[in-house]
Amino acid sequence: MGLDDRLSEEIRFHIEQQTEKNLQAGMSPEEARRQALIQFGGVQQTRERTRDEFRGAYLENLARDVRHGLRSLRRHPGFTAMAVLSLAIGIAANAVIFGIANAVLFRPSPVVDPATLVNIYESEADQGLNPLSYPNIEDLRRGTTTTFRGIVASAVAAGRVQYGGTAGAVIGEAVTGGAFGLLGVEPYLGRAIETRDDVARGGHPVVMLSHAYWQRAFGGDPQVIGRTVRLSGRDYSIIGVAPASYRGGLPAITPSFYVPMSMFDEVMGAEALDRRGFHSFFVRARLAPGVTFAQADHAASLVAADLTRTRPDGWTPGQRFSLVPSTDVQILPGVDGLIRAAVWLLVAVVGLVLLLACTNLASFLVARALDRSQEVAVRRALGATRGALARQMLVESALLGLGGSVVGLLLALALLKAVLALDLPLPYGMRLDLHLGLSQATLFDWRVLSLIVGAGLVSGLLLGLFPALRGTRAELGPSLAAGTRGNSGQGLKWRNALVVAQISMSLLLLVGAGLFLRSWQQMLAVDPGFGRAPTSVLAVMMPVSRAAPDSSPRMRRLLERLRKEPGVEAVGLVWPLPLELSSSSTRFTIDGRALPQGQEAFRAQRAWVDGEFFDAAGMTVVAGRTFNDDDRRGNQPVAVVSQAMARRYWPDGDAVGHVLRRPSPGEADLVVVGVVSDIKVRSLGEAPRDVVYEHYLQGDRLPAITYVARTTTDAARMTQTLLAAGREVDPDLRVMQATTMAEHLAMSRLPSQIGAVLIGVFSVLGLALAAVGVYGMVRYTVAMRTREVGIRMALGADAAGVARQLATHGVRLVLVGGAIGAVASLLAARFLATLLFGVGSFDPVALTGAPLVLGLAAWLAAYLPARRASRANPLAALRAE
Amino acid sequence: MKDKSDVLQGTLDMLVLRALQLEAMHGWGITERIGQWSEQVLQLGQGSLYPALYRMERQGFIRSEWRVTDNNRRARYYSMTASGRRYLHDSLAQWRRVSRAINLVLEVTTAN
Repeated sequence: MGLDDRLSEEIRFHIEQQTEKNLQAGMSPEEARRQALIQFGGVQQTRERTRDEFRGAYLENLARDVRHGLRSLRRHPGFTAMAVLSLAIGIAANAVIFGIANAVLFRPSPVVDPATLVNIYESEADQGLNPLSYPNIEDLRRGTTTTFRGIVASAVAAGRVQYGGTAGAVIGEAVTGGAFGLLGVEPYLGRAIETRDDVARGGHPVVMLSHAYWQRAFGGDPQVIGRTVRLSGRDYSIIGVAPASYRGGLPAITPSFYVPMSMFDEVMGAEALDRRGFHSFFVRARLAPGVTFAQADHAASLVAADLTRTRPDGWTPGQRFSLVPSTDVQILPGVDGLIRAAVWLLVAVVGLVLLLACTNLASFLVARALDRSQEVAVRRALGATRGALARQMLVESALLGLGGSVVGLLLALALLKAVLALDLPLPYGMRLDLHLGLSQATLFDWRVLSLIVGAGLVSGLLLGLFPALRGTRAELGPSLAAGTRGNSGQGLKWRNALVVAQISMSLLLLVGAGLFLRSWQQMLAVDPGFGRAPTSVLAVMMPVSRAAPDSSPRMRRLLERLRKEPGVEAVGLVWPLPLELSSSSTRFTIDGRALPQGQEAFRAQRAWVDGEFFDAAGMTVVAGRTFNDDDRRGNQPVAVVSQAMARRYWPDGDAVGHVLRRPSPGEADLVVVGVVSDIKVRSLGEAPRDVVYEHYLQGDRLPAITYVARTTTDAARMTQTLLAAGREVDPDLRVMQATTMAEHLAMSRLPSQIGAVLIGVFSVLGLALAAVGVYGMVRYTVAMRTREVGIRMALGADAAGVARQLATHGVRLVLVGGAIGAVASLLAARFLATLLFGVGSFDPVALTGAPLVLGLAAWLAAYLPARRASRANPLAALRAE
Repeated sequence: MKDKSDVLQGTLDMLVLRALQLEAMHGWGITERIGQWSEQVLQLGQGSLYPALYRMERQGFIRSEWRVTDNNRRARYYSMTASGRRYLHDSLAQWRRVSRAINLVLEVTTAN
């Protein structure tokens, strides 16, 4: 029975009873009923009021509590601001880190049935997992037609896009036709790239736009379908727009457009699709119905074994296909572990910051509950129930929490904006917003928003619960009788514990920050062995086509052109540039030198260079010579090797003249003609590596080339000169990176720089929060002891002594917290080892520096309020009671 | 002075609970009982009785159930809970304190 029915029946019954009574009193039936109705009053009105009483009461009470809470918070603006801001800082830090991780790593994919997708890489012994070369993909496809429903290849396709009056270099993705259908991704507009769009090389100039690029460059115009854009000098018709949630098949990068794979060579101006050595294709495959992962892995290994037999030129023994379930891959299996470790570290760090903020809030709330014990006692004496009072206090702390969420969101937006505005030295001029898909909208994801609101609300409610329950238990007698801010023992103990917790967490953060700063410092101190002088760097691709299949004459022409440029001291070219993402290696044997058990050849890093590169890069020739004009195609192929390699294989110092025999049919044997100084090739942290330098005109055609020019003038300006000269030599030049060597080196230090800066910033925030906690606690103790201080001052105690004594309590807490924090840091530092560079987890600088900084901050936070109290006028202090 | 007076603000709950102290009653019964006890001085406005009953039920001071009256009519009977008993006890104590205080003040002033 509903509420209304019940009420109607009760009212009807009531009126009938009254009518009956009136009848007995002698009224006429009509009169009796009329009088009964009059006596009852407005039936409808009663009904509404009763209903409100019963139902609306909760909401009404809540509204009243909220109003009361807001009023009460307004009355204590300092307290409110501190609490809200503390929480907001903690929430903002979490929102930004989680928002970025959510957008980049855990981005949701609209792909259908991801459990039946596998990523496929090539791997070999200790070389990690690499992208495939296109011919290998085609062989794999042929050998696994019953295993996979389909195989999708994706590759970065950078091109120059002209549309309307605008033109710019844009990063896109070349993708196998039918990929969208296979993955189950529906186009947002128009149609997707289908199998029929990917048949003949260069025969399908169609392009699909990414949702973000369509919005950004085409203003989200739905009429764009069927129009043409000019891409790398050819008109492409726009056939569709991908959905916003799909971010392509490349690791981390969000492409702006998609073209059929058959157009890849044309867009890039490369001849990559036919080259077995061009490892640039990321592969996803859909398992055929009923096929298990293990079966697929076995089928792929059969193809690999077949390749070993039939393609000795492009497939070395030991090379194999590595399958990884797509759901297990975040960016690349090789780096996922490190990224995950870094993300977890950051999550732990911002979690600590939030925890610090929460301890502040808790400490504030406990103090407030103490302050209120008298008010609570009075109100309970006046008949307020304990539940109502507790609810009111809870509503108040929930309001604080929500305030923290709102301000936290605003802070996070500002923080993210600042991060996006940073000019980070990312590879290939990538930008966080364009290529990683980060924007302020990153925060307006439901997961991030729930984190923001949830963190505020939960911490508000959770932290408010204890003071609400305890604070309202206050016994009437003692509190009222005490008259002053009494009843302090329990609450103070809690606040002390909170301060100790804060200090220990803050120390943990500071030690972490110290270790990462030291790690960065070590990284800065590493000499990469090249590029110390001002040097310009220009990485380009010189497009090749059927008409001009070899770009090396143009490469050489540009080199000679740059040599004449005023301000250039030495200029050379290299591929791949050391400390760049790409790398190359070669296999060789040496006559008379035994191979390690089970291996068929030695392996070394390899770079193609010209003779002047070493001078331009600032390397020195240790023995023999570098390359000269006689070293060209047709003459004896020669090599220059690194000092480390020379020492390893020819410890007697007679490297020059020896021969590197190479088992791969495409690679000729090399005569060592010189030895050069060691450089860092793949990472700054590595030990000197074996490197074989070959002459760029004696090897295979290079897919790209990097010009390195040592200059007497400003390197950035010289880069522009290089760029202009490059465009002159080849108007169709594709610029991959135009930068300075200093920037390039900064890029390789970026991870440790980001680590140091982020953790540094967060630990400073944590320190500030802890300082606020200590400050608040000491101020509070001082406030409670105002009378005592007044009396002692009146009796002639000196101000400094009183201040010292008041601060002592705080300092003692800091010492206890510091001791706990130190133990925790020693334990935690062990887990950081994998992320640190050149710093042990027991780094003395970090381990002594952090406590010093913390000690100073805590001492100030404790001393300032104490000193202020001791300066107070004793009379005023006494009168205040 | 009017011979019939509205229930003093805030005392309604006390009166209702007092009426329910001995036995469970329906709404009309409560009005009648208070009327009798107060020699018809206190007339509960129905407009405030039912809202108060529903509110106190929500607060857990009383509970209600359908029962059949002596003359075989169905009616909603209200009875007091333990928490209502405590509440009545507290309220009465407070009421005595306050009314005593008020009386003291009034007697002092009338004496002057």
